[in-house]
Amino acid sequence: MKTGRLEFTTSGPTEFVDLTDRIRDSLVRDGLRNGRVHLQSLHTTVGLAVNENEPLLLRDFAAMLERLAPARAGYEHDDFSRRFDVPLGEPVNGHAHCRQLLLSGSITLLVEEGELVLGRWQSVFAVELDGPRPREVAMQLDGEFARLQDSLVEAELARQLLTDPEPVAEPMRRLVEAGGKRLRPRLVQLTAALGPNDNPLRAAELAAAVELLHNATLIHDDYVDESTHRRGRPTVAAAEGPERAIAVGDYYFAKATRLVAEIGNPAVTSVIADALEAICASQIDDVALRGSYPGDRESYMRVVRGKTASLFSAACESGALLSDASPDVVGALRRFGDLLGTAFQMADDMVDYSPTSGKPVGLDIRQRVLSLPLIYAADDRVVGPEVRRLLAGALGDQEVGRVTELVTASGALPRVRREAEALVEEAVRELEAVELDGLRPTLIGLARSAVDRDS
Amino acid sequence: MSVQLLDHELDRLESLWSDGLSDAYRVYLESVKQFDPEVRPRLALAAALIEVGTRLQGLGTRAAPPTTLLMGDLCLARGSRLLADHAPLAVQVAFARAIETVSAAAASQHSAPPTRVLLQQALGAVR
Repeated sequence: MKTGRLEFTTSGPTEFVDLTDRIRDSLVRDGLRNGRVHLQSLHTTVGLAVNENEPLLLRDFAAMLERLAPARAGYEHDDFSRRFDVPLGEPVNGHAHCRQLLLSGSITLLVEEGELVLGRWQSVFAVELDGPRPREVAMQLDGEFARLQDSLVEAELARQLLTDPEPVAEPMRRLVEAGGKRLRPRLVQLTAALGPNDNPLRAAELAAAVELLHNATLIHDDYVDESTHRRGRPTVAAAEGPERAIAVGDYYFAKATRLVAEIGNPAVTSVIADALEAICASQIDDVALRGSYPGDRESYMRVVRGKTASLFSAACESGALLSDASPDVVGALRRFGDLLGTAFQMADDMVDYSPTSGKPVGLDIRQRVLSLPLIYAADDRVVGPEVRRLLAGALGDQEVGRVTELVTASGALPRVRREAEALVEEAVRELEAVELDGLRPTLIGLARSAVDRDS
Repeated sequence: MSVQLLDHELDRLESLWSDGLSDAYRVYLESVKQFDPEVRPRLALAAALIEVGTRLQGLGTRAAPPTTLLMGDLCLARGSRLLADHAPLAVQVAFARAIETVSAAAASQHSAPPTRVLLQQALGAVR
């Protein structure tokens, strides 16, 4: 368990202080991967709440509190002549105590894969009821924390961002600190421990470079897909405009390739460069296929192998190469990564239909992103005609909702899940014929958890 | 540069050849004479792809539309892969630093030296 305090100073009598980003930062800093964050107000006139950070709504809340416990209603607590041991400077604040009774003094938030489990519109507030004052909220982080290897990657990422110009570093830091699963760097680190030349620090450098490269591609993707949020935060394109997004993506594309090159292993450099080219080529295919949305399985598999699986594969292969693993191990891990990356993308597609994922349901449909469940539903004998008809027109809330219902009813989701699980088992079989120095169970566990996205 | 090599390395980017890529390629050929003859065309093409790629993306100017940005991304990625496979480490690092300089300047809305000048200097990193 790790503990901390969130300190802040309020500026008005009633104020909603959004603590969400600070809590997220703590998760990253302390490395909590799965578990809980407990928050407790240390004041009798500060409450805690989870709700939407919309300015007019916050005014509604303040007005509601005033209606329920008016400031000038007259409170016995404020009659100092009837109280004992009244401290000097005791405020007249019976209303604030009564308002606090309407809120919570403590809350618990869930954390999964390093990310706060919050709905799209949910923010965590400390609610000042008797300000302005300096305030404190106690915080305990409880659960499964990142191991030393994960800390090495986080430290390396932080170190690299520290040396970059702020206009590029700040947006990337926001993305890095928002969490993410860190699957690719984890694969690099695991596979870099397989050969005779096991060097955790060098592996962390490669792992961090791979994560920066991945994030660079996401920044451009978000502009292309017109995405407004990623990992619960505004995308670079949405927050700072497409020009900045292009520049930040290019900067970290270049920096990551330089960091990889500076490691000084030409085979590793080539593997990562090949993967980057495959990603970029597949992005073009992906966007082109949106003209014939939702496409077919063959096209889907081709795009996914380039867009997602290539970096998984490269992460596994480059780690193994870095440690001078034998060619049969390198080959097995390359194939393992390819299959795992494809399965991962299939599982990711299913998240679009999950109301508990924390992402808006139907976002992929709205953005016409290639998706296997949708391809299967469009081919379905019963729901297919309606799905295709809806996808051929404009996709408003009603249409997206209906398509989501049809996909869910079609049996496409269990079919995709079975395929993803079968690919993971195929990936696991790739590991059977090679010596993995005791790491086989860890790799198998990571592979199976990577497709278990909605449990 | 052989026709086969050109065909292979320009896959999906053929339309750019007549749209500035060939001109840039010829300019960079003048900057690679210190390398082995078989490597020269690849390095010149890598530099030309990176120059054209950043221009396509609208780096430092107005953002390109998404499909054009993706073409620019592919140019950068292919140029980078050519360098990874054929350039000395010092040249790879110098190219990356050149792109870092241009993109950091774009993000800061500052002016940077012309991309071509930076890439020509990068090709000279092992001279």
